[in-house]
Amino acid sequence: MAKPGDARPVFLDLFRIRFPIGAIASILHRASGVLLFLALPPLALGLEMSLRGEAQFEALRSLLPAPWRIVIGTILAWAATHHLLAGIRHLLMDVGVGSALGTARASARAVLAIALLAALFAAWRGLS
Amino acid sequence: MRLFRGQRAWLVQRISALLVLALLAAGGLALLLGPPLDHARWHALATGVHGGPLIMLLFAALCAHAWVGMRDIVLDYVQPRALRLSVLTLVALVLFAVLVRVLLTLAAHFAPPG
Amino acid sequence: MKLSIYRFNPETDDRPRMQAYEIEPEAGDKKLLDVLMRLRTVDDSLSFRRSCREGVCGSDAMNINGRNGLACLTALAGLKEPVVLRPLPGFPVIRDLIVDMTQFFAHYHAIKPYLINDGPPPEREHLQTPEQRARLDGLYECILCACCSAFCPSYWWNPDKFIGPSGLLQAYRFIADSRDTATAERLDYLDDVYRLYRCRTIMNCTEVCPKGLSPSHAIERIRLALLQRSS
Repeated sequence: MAKPGDARPVFLDLFRIRFPIGAIASILHRASGVLLFLALPPLALGLEMSLRGEAQFEALRSLLPAPWRIVIGTILAWAATHHLLAGIRHLLMDVGVGSALGTARASARAVLAIALLAALFAAWRGLS
Repeated sequence: MRLFRGQRAWLVQRISALLVLALLAAGGLALLLGPPLDHARWHALATGVHGGPLIMLLFAALCAHAWVGMRDIVLDYVQPRALRLSVLTLVALVLFAVLVRVLLTLAAHFAPPG
Repeated sequence: MKLSIYRFNPETDDRPRMQAYEIEPEAGDKKLLDVLMRLRTVDDSLSFRRSCREGVCGSDAMNINGRNGLACLTALAGLKEPVVLRPLPGFPVIRDLIVDMTQFFAHYHAIKPYLINDGPPPEREHLQTPEQRARLDGLYECILCACCSAFCPSYWWNPDKFIGPSGLLQAYRFIADSRDTATAERLDYLDDVYRLYRCRTIMNCTEVCPKGLSPSHAIERIRLALLQRSS
């Protein structure tokens, strides 16, 4: 990238770059990680509530009004599934399993698809 | 084992990931194998001699993992020094608060039999 | 054939613009570079680098329809029109499709891309077994075209500190060489949050390498070598 004071243009318009499937799985790995980070404080508070007593434990299930519960539940189901699977994919690639381009493309596609299915499943369960 | 300055974060990320995976798998299995989860069963599990420390370990691994990941994001996208320091401090404070909260919660309810 | 090409002349332009071209390829034109050369007979102000025109020199790397590649290896058949040509992403533009590769080569020089051997010089030559030689396959063929580094998000965000896929592939080429005795120093240099560990195994590098090499695999091997050393 250009240094400060360097007037020369730099082409880096991300919307005009065609990203391979692995890059899409990767940026979503990062985005889902941020979502899960944001979920940590509520999770810690939820743990505290769940142990405080039977009433609080039961109240956890209906802490949020229905539309929010479903939306947040769906997003978190997607984020957790995507992050976990993409993470396993990377751990395997670290030790040389599936790190050839063809397999890496296939596993990236699988991660994206399964995470989407998990989100759909969570939404369906929330709605029914 | 010698840990180097660049490798350490990478290793922490990998080891914490493996820990989270193992603990989630064990926890999921424990929940699935037993009867449906109600408060009594959850309380017994989370305050037990194994459950309590394991939940603490899970949160410790989650926070370590989140720290490395969030720091990577900051190192990539946040270039101005002052802003970078503020964001990193904020992330560290949040994770520290989570750990303290979980530790206090688990300690308050910790009830090993006998 | 329709093309849309990134134009920037530092002497006359404040900002880059896209220019549309239309030209009929002739019977002998097989690769994108052939059409670019023909375009230059129409518009001699159009600037790009090229030399060998057969994928050996690595000078005509550019962003072709959103992906980095060599114009001389990109077949005209199957190219989506208009063919959009832009300079390598993340590199400062000198003029049109010509980018400043100074930083890219600074990283290359920093990994000491030459054999280091402190031992007594052999009488004739350093011999290698066929197996030792085979470990350099997939590493030595890099032509330094920068397609990979200019397609790597980690390199875009930290081009001054992250060595990038090309430099790391080259670094591993000498780490893997049985004749090189500087492995420890090389690993010391790479063991850094920025230089090596900015890589997130996105694999964009391997996706676009016009020589079919896998920098991501080389990086994976460097990480394992560091792990082995520290355990």
